[in-house]
Amino acid sequence: MRILYIDTSSNYLYTGIVENEELLIELQEKLEQNLSRDALPEIASMFNKINLSPTDIDKIIVVDGPGSFTGIRIGVTIAKVYASSLNKKITTISSLEAMATSFDKASYYVPIIDARRGFVYTAIYDKNGKEVLFPQHIKINILEEKLSQLDDYLIITNDEIKLEGIKVTYKPDILKIVQTYKNRKNINPHSVNPNYLKLTEAEENLISNDRKTN
Amino acid sequence: MNEKEMYILGIESSCDETSFSIVKNGRENIATVIASQIDIHKDYGGVVPEIASRNHVKNITIVLEECLEKANMKMEDIDAIAVTYGPGLIGSLLIGLEAAKTLSFLYHKPLIPVHHIAGHIYANSLVKELEFPLLAIVVSGGHTELIKMTDHYKFKKLGGTLDDAIGECYDKVARVMDLSYPGGPKLDKLATKGETTYKLPLPLKDDSYNFSFSGLKSAVINLVHNEEQRNREINKEDLAASFQKVAVESIIKKARKAIKEEEIKHVIVAGGVAASTGLRNAITQLGEEQKVDISFPPMKYCTDNAAMIAAAGYFAYKAGRVADLSLNSKSSDRLS
Repeated sequence: MRILYIDTSSNYLYTGIVENEELLIELQEKLEQNLSRDALPEIASMFNKINLSPTDIDKIIVVDGPGSFTGIRIGVTIAKVYASSLNKKITTISSLEAMATSFDKASYYVPIIDARRGFVYTAIYDKNGKEVLFPQHIKINILEEKLSQLDDYLIITNDEIKLEGIKVTYKPDILKIVQTYKNRKNINPHSVNPNYLKLTEAEENLISNDRKTN
Repeated sequence: MNEKEMYILGIESSCDETSFSIVKNGRENIATVIASQIDIHKDYGGVVPEIASRNHVKNITIVLEECLEKANMKMEDIDAIAVTYGPGLIGSLLIGLEAAKTLSFLYHKPLIPVHHIAGHIYANSLVKELEFPLLAIVVSGGHTELIKMTDHYKFKKLGGTLDDAIGECYDKVARVMDLSYPGGPKLDKLATKGETTYKLPLPLKDDSYNFSFSGLKSAVINLVHNEEQRNREINKEDLAASFQKVAVESIIKKARKAIKEEEIKHVIVAGGVAASTGLRNAITQLGEEQKVDISFPPMKYCTDNAAMIAAAGYFAYKAGRVADLSLNSKSSDRLS
């Protein structure tokens, strides 16, 4: 079983190919503004380096968010076009799951992605990977309160977040992520869509205007 | 590859339409599927870029699959993939672009970058063979340009708008007149019923090939405002007719000059405003007066669609325009 992993939810490209228990190849590259230009050629070059063709993949695991809206869409579009065209299995995981899964030796894992204006995307997982706080877009001071009730938590983030506790920088353990989620239920590729955890501003305004008039 | 049979898969996602199409030899539409988001954006009075991007991702594989089914073809039967790389909404463009690049990677098919306006021009190729020298009158929500072509895929911009695009001006004027989004087509319809009773200034009466519509837009806004102040009701049909007459006249004046000075044989109209009855009638008359061939894209190819991208893609490919997987989207780019 060969699995292709794709995560473009940040300004990094994290991708790799796992065959059974072995990580055949991986790429972890900061692409920033060039993600749309470079993600696909990088993925293609990964296949070339180990002499695999796109048809040699059995399943795709793609990160569907939260994170950079544009970034998520790039990875999700590549993955769903790939899976639907070549009739490959596909499943999604969240960027927060990927972040939490990449570390060990703590009682709680707190992946955090800066969502600006005092908000973060976060979730809290216990040591068995169980969700203690479901993935959400939340004010940082509310998260702070929740953390104050926990012992031995590990914050995983690549952003400047002002919170108490032990922090580690996120570097994905792609092999471990793939092993953890490789049996997650397959999804129809058409239904693989970004999970932004946040409405667009226009939608938020429309809803708040509706509330005001009602 | 057989010269006589080349099937291009076109992909368009530059604004709020997700579209795939298969076109044979740049002339024959095999299958086109368009998923329009117009109903989604209605609530906001215009296209919201982030919402458009979100819907493109949702639609992308469904539209692709439907297009192949409609054509009764497989990806393996396609010879090359043409995609709109720009100009347009960057977040929207990216979805079509990534889909095109992924398909090019999966099936080892050539990737052809197509400028959105080249697409609108080549929409005409789906109904009539282009003759050169050709004048393309490009009129849409984002563009108002006169483009001369001396051959396939050889573009020279003669002039363009210095401010608002004509379609943008139509939509803004429609909004002042309380016509719901998208107001341009409604305005065009109203104009057919009205008389040109309101006096509006003809913009940019100069010797260039350029246009200006912001002054005309302001004049309409001021007129509506003044009438309101005086508690006089606007005759919407007459105002629409008056506005359209001036807008169309400014296009016709510059187009006439181009036909004469550039020895044009064939005039084509391209872009969403090509659907306007008022503009069509005026350009048809101009063609008779100047004795040149005129062609309009059929209504279904006036709005954004991938058939025109696939048609342009064929001629772009013939002109050697291919890209590798590092192709990127551009929100603005000159047609060249």
